[in-house]
Amino acid sequence: MEERIKKFSSFRICEHAIAMIVFFVLVFTGLPQKFYNLEISKAIINLFGGIDMMRFIHRNAGLFFCLQISVHIIYGAVTLYRGAEPVIFITKKDFKDAIHNLRYYLGFDAIPATTGLFTYRQKFEYWGVLTGSILMALTGLILRFPVTATDILPGILLPASKLIHTNHAIILVIIIIWHLYNSVFNPEVFPLNRSIFTGYVYKRV
Amino acid sequence: MDCHFGFSLSSHPERNFKTRRDYTIASSEICRRCHFDKYVKTLESIHYTILSSGRLEAPVCIDCHGFHSIQSMGREKVLIAKRCERCHATIYETYIKSVHGKALIDERNQDVPVCIDCHTSHDIKDPLTTDYRERIPEICSRCHSEPSIMNKYGLSTDVVSTYLSDFHGITLSLYKKERKDKLQPSRPMAVCTDCHGTHDISRMGIDKTVIKKNLLKKCRSCHPDASENFPDAWVSHYGISPKKTPLLYAINQIYRILLPLVIAGLALQVVLHIWRYAVNR
Repeated sequence: MEERIKKFSSFRICEHAIAMIVFFVLVFTGLPQKFYNLEISKAIINLFGGIDMMRFIHRNAGLFFCLQISVHIIYGAVTLYRGAEPVIFITKKDFKDAIHNLRYYLGFDAIPATTGLFTYRQKFEYWGVLTGSILMALTGLILRFPVTATDILPGILLPASKLIHTNHAIILVIIIIWHLYNSVFNPEVFPLNRSIFTGYVYKRV
Repeated sequence: MDCHFGFSLSSHPERNFKTRRDYTIASSEICRRCHFDKYVKTLESIHYTILSSGRLEAPVCIDCHGFHSIQSMGREKVLIAKRCERCHATIYETYIKSVHGKALIDERNQDVPVCIDCHTSHDIKDPLTTDYRERIPEICSRCHSEPSIMNKYGLSTDVVSTYLSDFHGITLSLYKKERKDKLQPSRPMAVCTDCHGTHDISRMGIDKTVIKKNLLKKCRSCHPDASENFPDAWVSHYGISPKKTPLLYAINQIYRILLPLVIAGLALQVVLHIWRYAVNR
């Protein structure tokens, strides 16, 4: 027997779908800028009709992403204020689960850790992506509006932002690859963990 | 007789030219008979373009090289600059006050560039075109990336490579590539001369506040609203170091540790998970 549990609201389903597309656009228009010397990057840049057009798309997708992050944070804060359970917050149990599962993988424990609505992996993914996105948004805004930014901030923050933006992009891409493993290629859920598209998860009873 | 062909001891036909200048211009055709390669190059030059538009003061061969007293031009670089001075006097005045010109005049330094080193000699192109502008880093790099010249003066050879890996330089390289692919990026990108000047290039100096003040002026020619903080965004041609740019150095170090840590951590998660799954089956 399986019990059907509502995990994601329609709002979260939409949010994820949009984030997925925007993230892909940002990666596709961003990485060739980082690795501008590679032939493949030059081919992709040409595909967009030149670096100016590619930057235009990257910057506007980035601005849209900033908006989305703001909505996400405000929406989250409001629901928490209204008394929603903080199911996505990392607790002590998540660290215990991580160590438990590590022992399980290595054969020191017979069964894997039990989980609540979100596994420790999903929580770490989520917070990795959220904090990373905030960092990308802030540094991206500085890079997008360099003259305005240096009206109030010291100039050194411009090259600093560039360094953070270009390095943290790689970290985000790696987290997303991990996310793709966990929700697509993971043999336990392959070909796809559908919960983020249907909104439901199933619990063995 | 090779030059004044058509004449001999017995015959001296009359040639009709309206002006002396017409005769000079026509005479330069004589040089073509031996110096065909140079002649062809001049056809691509801005001087020829101006000449063919009817402005006859544009120079032809003998205006620079002379006629009966033709000498090799390469012995003393200053002689070349003097030739150009005859028409481009104001530019010459500016040039001899520049770091390059001063060394040429005061020290007879032969390493410094004179006019033709940047503008070429026979096929001088219009220096105000985008094509010329985008070749400037390459022109400067001929000397400024050359250790055998730069070491003598204690100058860095990384100036061009650091420029090319910065925002302006990257964009410039991509624009150049795009032009080859028939795309037309329209914006001009800052090149060496936009910050350092052209004929008035001066020593950078040591006083940081002065450098910053001058730099702000240059920044503002493209970014008119730039504040006093803005020039600090340019961390100079020397790359990242713990002493000069501690913040950037720290960020670099953090990611040097964080990146492999994240990759290794997540890869281990995946590998262990797959391994456990395989063992269980």
